[in-house]
Amino acid sequence: MVLKLRLARISTPGGAKRHHPRYNIVLAHARTARDSLPLEVLGTYNPIPSTPAGVTEEDVRAGRARKVKEIKVDVSRAKYWLGVGAQPSDTVWRVLSMIGLLEPKYLPTGPQTEKALKAVRFPTHLPAAPASASTTANASAEVQGSRTTPA
Amino acid sequence: MPPRISPSRLTKPSTCECFRSRPQNPPAARNFHASARHEVTRLRRGMYDWLKGPGKVFRKPLRGSTNYLSAYNKTGDLVRVRKDNRDDRTKPSEGIEEDETAASERDLNDQSLTDDDRDIRAREREMARQTRKAEDVETEARGGVPRERSVDMRPYPLNQHFTSQPVLSEALREQLYVQVAVEERDLSSVAASFGVDIRRVAAAVRLKTIEKQWEDEGKPLAKPYSDAILSMLPTTPFQPETANPITPHEPINDLPVHPHTRQQLFYPASESRQFTREDAAKVFSAKLLPADQRIPLPMLVDLEKWKLEGLDRQQRQARQVQKDRDAREEAAAKETARVEWEERTQRVVKGRRWDFAFQDISAEKVGRDGWGREAVGYRYGMPHVDRKRGVIKIPTSVA
Repeated sequence: MVLKLRLARISTPGGAKRHHPRYNIVLAHARTARDSLPLEVLGTYNPIPSTPAGVTEEDVRAGRARKVKEIKVDVSRAKYWLGVGAQPSDTVWRVLSMIGLLEPKYLPTGPQTEKALKAVRFPTHLPAAPASASTTANASAEVQGSRTTPA
Repeated sequence: MPPRISPSRLTKPSTCECFRSRPQNPPAARNFHASARHEVTRLRRGMYDWLKGPGKVFRKPLRGSTNYLSAYNKTGDLVRVRKDNRDDRTKPSEGIEEDETAASERDLNDQSLTDDDRDIRAREREMARQTRKAEDVETEARGGVPRERSVDMRPYPLNQHFTSQPVLSEALREQLYVQVAVEERDLSSVAASFGVDIRRVAAAVRLKTIEKQWEDEGKPLAKPYSDAILSMLPTTPFQPETANPITPHEPINDLPVHPHTRQQLFYPASESRQFTREDAAKVFSAKLLPADQRIPLPMLVDLEKWKLEGLDRQQRQARQVQKDRDAREEAAAKETARVEWEERTQRVVKGRRWDFAFQDISAEKVGRDGWGREAVGYRYGMPHVDRKRGVIKIPTSVA
């Protein structure tokens, strides 16, 4: 059966209510119901932009601060399930591509996008390897990359 | 109002009208002349007598002194001046040698002293002279009037329980600001060394910061007002260059009474068991910190303990320095760990209208049954029934 990474709207106490959506990012069989018990909970997604602690609505209106959407995700587990062929839904694809776990589905490819994606990568993305050899390899790879991209 | 007037001396008005005693015939003609009647009642006459007589002193307050009613007697004399004149003979003026050259020569001739001793004695004499000079200056500023006693600090003669408390002087406030904002000493040690409550230190520094900011912006300050108020209130001075530069302002280490400790408890404890303040705190409430940790400045308690242990001044100082260093290192380590954790787990991606705040979490905290308390994510399955009637919640661990 196909495994999917998708959102599940969860209305347990503390979860979603009317006009108050809250989602779990879950791994589940594709043909199960959306909110049924998943194989694994990988994180949460709050689609309502909220003001961070210490920021007021005035700050947001005046442009001094910005609202945030809070996303919690176990990056290494998500990476593992993507590696073994789990299919992300469009929304999960968009979210996970923001932190560089996937190629963005709709973003143009190019050096700018790649740079932006690299900036937000978590350390779990990088292959674990012994120190000296891997760092030099990475450095050379990056140099190669910077040479090739303008061409 | 004249001072020390007892309620028994207040007389009732001589004419007393009510519905029954009011004259039944209305006045024949209306009194059109509406200006105030200059009736000289006894009270009014008394008031003017007082204003011209004993009350005259209040019009021009004494310099460097409060202007309270209870400091004067019925005839308008300062009570404390009379008292001071009576025991003027006991004023200690001896013990301070005015002539430095004579004193130093005497020290030189004394063979039992070393050079260091002479230095120390010279410095002590210098300090004593400075202190004396500062006291003289202060007395001069008060116009030769002695300092107020506690009974003179009652602004309301009929309220004997209200005593006017001193406020921070301008010099002390400035010094607090310098210590905290410029020299960057921490609030608690400044509070301990100046004898000012830690919250008051924080407030003084904050207000002083705003004051300086306003001065930079060219905003006008209400200086005349503050000067007038401070000239009438008792203040806590700060006198550098004297033997006693710091006057303690208030008791600083009072233990706040926590609401949890207000209840009366009977807690049986076995005689063989040591029952300490930590245990007492736990009995009052599971999360209540023990008194030694709730006290505003625990370092003062440590200091007293070290004194009882018999450590001398230098050892105590060394311990204090060591303790301060440890605390700083611990705070720095905590901060580093926090920064490192944020670096590892937090990412913010800029969006068009809002940002996406990502946090890397561990999905494995759900545990074997999927009900882990630390786990991230909303839960599935049956709700907890442990608060249902008849269902006993059995703890899985004992703290």
